[in-house]
Amino acid sequence: MYRSNNMKIRMMAIVVVALVSIATVGAMTAEDIVRQMDALETFETSYAEGEIVTTDRFGVKTSTFRSWSRGAYDSLIEFTSVAERGQKVLRTEGELYLFYPDAEELIRLQGAALRQSMLGSDISYEDMTGEKDTLSQYEVKLLGNERISGRDCFVLEFAAKTRTVAYPMQKVWVDTGTYMVWKGEFSTKAGRLLKEMAVLETMTVDNRTLPKITKISDKMKRDSATEMRLTHLDIDVDLDPVIFTLQNLTW
Amino acid sequence: MKFLVVLACKNLTRYKRRTIITAVTIAIGLMLFILIDSILIGVDRESVRNLKWYETSSVRIMATGYWEDRLMLPLDVSIDDPYTKVQLLREHGYDATPRIMFAADLILYSEDFGEDGNLPVQVTAVDTTLDNTVFRFEDTLLEGRFAESGKNELVIGSWMAEDLQAEVGYWVTLVTRGNGGFFEAMDMQIVGIVNCPNPNVNRSLLMVPIDTVADYLAMENLATEIDIALPESADTDVEAQAITRLMAESGKGTTVMTWKDLAGDYLAMMQAERGGSSTMLFLVFLIAAVGISNTMLMVINERTRELGMMRALGMDDRSIHWLFMLEAGGIGLLGSSIGVALGMLANIYIVQEGLDFGFFMREMDMAYRVQSIFRGAWSLRSILTTFFSGIFLSMLVAWIPTRRAIRMDIPSCLRHQ
Repeated sequence: MYRSNNMKIRMMAIVVVALVSIATVGAMTAEDIVRQMDALETFETSYAEGEIVTTDRFGVKTSTFRSWSRGAYDSLIEFTSVAERGQKVLRTEGELYLFYPDAEELIRLQGAALRQSMLGSDISYEDMTGEKDTLSQYEVKLLGNERISGRDCFVLEFAAKTRTVAYPMQKVWVDTGTYMVWKGEFSTKAGRLLKEMAVLETMTVDNRTLPKITKISDKMKRDSATEMRLTHLDIDVDLDPVIFTLQNLTW
Repeated sequence: MKFLVVLACKNLTRYKRRTIITAVTIAIGLMLFILIDSILIGVDRESVRNLKWYETSSVRIMATGYWEDRLMLPLDVSIDDPYTKVQLLREHGYDATPRIMFAADLILYSEDFGEDGNLPVQVTAVDTTLDNTVFRFEDTLLEGRFAESGKNELVIGSWMAEDLQAEVGYWVTLVTRGNGGFFEAMDMQIVGIVNCPNPNVNRSLLMVPIDTVADYLAMENLATEIDIALPESADTDVEAQAITRLMAESGKGTTVMTWKDLAGDYLAMMQAERGGSSTMLFLVFLIAAVGISNTMLMVINERTRELGMMRALGMDDRSIHWLFMLEAGGIGLLGSSIGVALGMLANIYIVQEGLDFGFFMREMDMAYRVQSIFRGAWSLRSILTTFFSGIFLSMLVAWIPTRRAIRMDIPSCLRHQ
């Protein structure tokens, strides 16, 4: 009798916990999910090493890089592969600068120039160093849940609030547990698919699950894809503030 | 002096062969000069015409700040309410049309083109009604028809069509960024191929209706430029000032530029090429000068004894110097007359028929806005300059050897072998 009661209590506890969990998840709005998603991608500071592998009809090209970031706006990327060694991209709030060591030239990119492809990849400068404040730019709608790469994901639809964002429509699959974006579809206002992003491999850093290998395909250019592979990532590390200055860029 | 002129003429006829050979050398040099100069003037004039007719128009209005960022073809630096401004310009007698220029990726599909591909392009969105009042594409249609208002239709330059192996009826997609920065993709059907005399335009032209594009790119009631055609006789700078005043009256925020400002790169290149052409013309002259100089040296060397004898008989040095100068001038006159006559005869063909450099222009991106036939142009000033330069130059190059011979003493002259 005692055993039977004990079983009942345990069963009830499990049901209660499950219901509370479902209720918690269910209570999350699309905006909450996006905030979690943005928070996951924003670090106090970070240092990363990796490579960009670009595949097009001319072949495969690999460029390696190191990058530093601070908060949502400041980032510096330095290319280390032979062909691009020393090229740097600095983004501070609202500004983007390129440095070419061979020409010893510093170029400030603005307006349409930010939309140029970086190193011939499917990633533009603004994609690489974009500011992470999704809710100020998009209206978000939760479409439901789907499984991607064996993980349960929220399916979110983003509709641009302004004309100043690159992709008027986005559909993203956000992990319900880790809030990492597993997949993204980027479209025109009329819904024409332009780019697709998929995370192929993840890594855990400081209890966060983050993309390790991300594939970006330009759907308008067949046989064109770019893989961003992170080989090393440290987050919340001590960084010298000088890193994000123009003086540092030309050194 | 009369005696010297008669003697010089007699000497020229006495040494017929030498006179003719030297005169022919001068004539060939001057004839080449006239022809090259004619082609350069003709090409320059035609280039300017083709620039204005197909590329820059005579005067262009842009939003303030657009010119500085023009290479990026920004859509956010645009002219508000362009049709009101066009209307105002038309009321003041100016033919004007709005245009939107934007950069795009041209996506080609294997279904039509045999293989998939893409290339960066510049697209010109035109008002299908007004554009032909400013630009002259009307007579350049090679195949198909022009794009119709509001439709997803595209007209392409014939060289570009050849390079892409594009045909009327093929579909392409233009992927671009709209006003603000959002991505947009537009499917367009090629409905016409134009063969424009301006190679730069023919090599890169993609023309679409402005209303179609305005809808896609959030450019409703906006344009990146208003182009204005002026009559050939108009003073562009004066008209540009008048248009600037007119625009200032209708509101702020616009800049007016003439075709000379817009084609500054072209004009700078022309300037450089003119420098090269002048060097070439100078070399042609130099060849003629060396010929004359050589002949005069030979003449003076052969006639040193004669020169000594004339001096021994009492002819003063100044008269002898003049005699030789007149002889040189006589050869120059003969050579210049033949050269100018031959040059003008050959120039009739060059002006009317021209020389076909199409094979050259197709492969090379030169500054000249002439597609294939390089036609010459008449320039009375050049012909007269050439004629008198031939005579003057002949006399000039005879100066030094004559002077040297006169410096010899009379016995040395008489003993000269």
